[in-house]
Amino acid sequence: MSALTLRLSESPRQRIDLSAFTPDRLDGASIADIQAIPLWVGNRQVATGDLFEVAGDDVSDIRIASNSDRLDSIGAGMSQGRIQVAGDAGAYLGRGMRGGEIHVSGNASILAGTGMTGGVIRIDGSAGDFLGAALPGDRRGMRGGRIEVRGNAGDRVGDRQRRGTILIAGDAGDYCGSRMGAGTILVLGKTGANTGFGMRRGTLLLGHPPELPPTFNDNGEWDLDVITLLTSSLAELEPPFGTLPQRGKRVRRWLGDLGYGGQGEVLVWS
Amino acid sequence: MLIKLSGGTLIDPANGIDGEVRDLYIHDGRILHEAPQGERPQKTYDLGGKLVMAGAIDLHTHIGGGKVNIARAMLPDDQRSHPRERTALTRSGGGHAAPSTLAAGYRYAEMGYTSCFEPAIIPTNARQAHMEMADTPMVDTGGYAMLGNDDLLLQLMSEGVSQEVINDYVAWTLHATQCIGIKTVNPGGISAFKFNARELDIDERHPHYPLRPRDIVRTLSRALAELGVPHPLHVHASNLGVPGNHSSTLATIEAAEGFPIHLTHIQFHAYGTEGDRKFSSAGAEIAEAVNHRKNVSIDVGQVMFGQTVTISGDTMHQHANRSHAHPRKWTCMDIECEAGCGVVPFRYKDKNFVNALQWAIGLELFLMVDDPWRVFLTTDHPNGAPFTSYPHLIRLLMDRTFRNEQLAQINPDAAAMSLLGSLERQYSLYEIAIMTRAAPARILGLADRGHLGAGARADITVYRPSDDAERMFGTPMLVFKDGQVVVEEGRITAPVKGSTQVIRPEYDRAIEQRIGKWLDRYHSIGMANFRISDEEMAEGIGSPVEIHACRPRSAA
Repeated sequence: MSALTLRLSESPRQRIDLSAFTPDRLDGASIADIQAIPLWVGNRQVATGDLFEVAGDDVSDIRIASNSDRLDSIGAGMSQGRIQVAGDAGAYLGRGMRGGEIHVSGNASILAGTGMTGGVIRIDGSAGDFLGAALPGDRRGMRGGRIEVRGNAGDRVGDRQRRGTILIAGDAGDYCGSRMGAGTILVLGKTGANTGFGMRRGTLLLGHPPELPPTFNDNGEWDLDVITLLTSSLAELEPPFGTLPQRGKRVRRWLGDLGYGGQGEVLVWS
Repeated sequence: MLIKLSGGTLIDPANGIDGEVRDLYIHDGRILHEAPQGERPQKTYDLGGKLVMAGAIDLHTHIGGGKVNIARAMLPDDQRSHPRERTALTRSGGGHAAPSTLAAGYRYAEMGYTSCFEPAIIPTNARQAHMEMADTPMVDTGGYAMLGNDDLLLQLMSEGVSQEVINDYVAWTLHATQCIGIKTVNPGGISAFKFNARELDIDERHPHYPLRPRDIVRTLSRALAELGVPHPLHVHASNLGVPGNHSSTLATIEAAEGFPIHLTHIQFHAYGTEGDRKFSSAGAEIAEAVNHRKNVSIDVGQVMFGQTVTISGDTMHQHANRSHAHPRKWTCMDIECEAGCGVVPFRYKDKNFVNALQWAIGLELFLMVDDPWRVFLTTDHPNGAPFTSYPHLIRLLMDRTFRNEQLAQINPDAAAMSLLGSLERQYSLYEIAIMTRAAPARILGLADRGHLGAGARADITVYRPSDDAERMFGTPMLVFKDGQVVVEEGRITAPVKGSTQVIRPEYDRAIEQRIGKWLDRYHSIGMANFRISDEEMAEGIGSPVEIHACRPRSAA
């Protein structure tokens, strides 16, 4: 058995929805079946075989190779197995994912991990806006699982997040953790304006002092054992996330957003 | 072009035909019983063994007006999870509870519907509502303008002006808004809500105006009768959804004082307070009242289980129901002091006592009102359920065994409190054809449709007979709109656009002075922009008007 490989033949002018290619949905499919799967490209339907070179037979291990950032919904709804993207991913990476693992070697566009309830998404490059956030109209964003971003993330990281962990090695944009209901966001780089705006509960753990709305209260510096628990649970990951226990457990704590119940906490390593 | 429909079995209650095998011809968009002299049909459909009915008419479905757009905007997930992909002929759309205009028009046609009426057009929003309906393909449309909470009517009535002045105002509203009927929603109650009233029973005085809802119902139903408007006052009664509201529903029927009155989504107004949970069916009392009063017609507003969204002008009761919102978001707003708008998404659950009893009450009303000419098949789309559930509803009415199977699935306490299990009636195809074709056409004054008589508009639906009414009515074999085949085997084969059905009662133009002053003083737009002209309907909005005849004017 060799990994199922989808190599994009030429860069599409329109966006392509790749939600059909998950280990769950391809279970039992032959190469011929996969080549025949119809895909929407803009307003045209095209067979997969006309867009991708398809090879391999192990549908639980899918490799997508592309030089396009227009491949949307990769791994949407998947519950098992592994998808590796060599190149960039489009919007909605791992949307509604329930389990398994996605690895992207390049960047991901907006709304990666939206509505995910389990599994792991690893992005070596940067993520777009609304990482782990709710789709417009949805009341909850990410609800479980873990997202790791080695580069930066855009605005509104974890908007309406409800559970799960988002780890960002680089910087995050404005409104990081906005309208969060629960869950954890870690940002080792800088965060933008209005960090934590509208937070009800949940935790932001930051490497640099944030720019908070005035509706956050400073609680001073604390030694929090929960930081030890959190960082040691990540110890098996690659650096910089795996080496976080070295940072210790002393943090400055802010509580807010007081306009929205004020039970969210922003913790900043001293 | 002459088309022959050969050997179909006609069900045409308007002309008293029940299952007669007969040829029909279609010429210039009209139905003929004989081919014109010397002409031979260019196309013949062999309909041996098939059922031929007029195109169906939905007289109460929320397919236009700002509130549907608000529901669409509030529920993007409704669009996302119910996509309708484009085909070579049709455009993409989507949505289940609040479908896009395109998806709504296509699906209506696929179910054999050819005319749909939006029951709640706020006069100041009429332009937008007609634009939205013009964007709804496949079906002819029309609307009912909302009066009874607008300050001008309440002011005029409080001043004690004569009935003629009210009649003129009502007629002017029909002209200006290009509507075919008048609806009143929680008469006086939406206005009272703005004066901080949270309930207003039929005989309660409005907190500001010296009026009771009863006065508004009487005045408006009388106005329509005197103007000769065929459709009676379309009444969304007081106390929607409130346990024990059957008494105000009965009082509303009395308030019409014998003038024709149509009570809409009456299922939501047929609740008693019996039992441990103080919520019970008053279906029997309401049905008896309807059976005894020939001036009363109803549509049911059947509840079906599943996710939908409730959209209503009745801000008072939408506000009261906001805590039931599912998913948990809602809005209520005033619209230019003319009426309101409340949007509350809702999921009806079969294991929930109240929802299950609502479902049973709707069916009780269908089965206990004897005269199918006075009870109409609606779910108050989307308030009780999306209109896409009509085929399922028809099967519930036609198939007692199926109905009792469904009854066995619902909350057992609700099933035990309902008479439904003991009702043996099964609707016949003839009765279904009455309630979905002949009767709506008659009550709206649409002489040109709802029947298969010579000269009628060739809106025709052909069904393959089946024991499963849901399948039969869900995918008709053929649908003709204005003589053109638009649907074959439940799929669109020719996208078409409809027209707007209106009525034009005479009135004394002197009223325009009073209205014009009112609009200038209090409104956001003046008289010239308020009214929608026939040219604008045809050119700008894209749905030309078809004027239907009024009845002779009765003496005031």
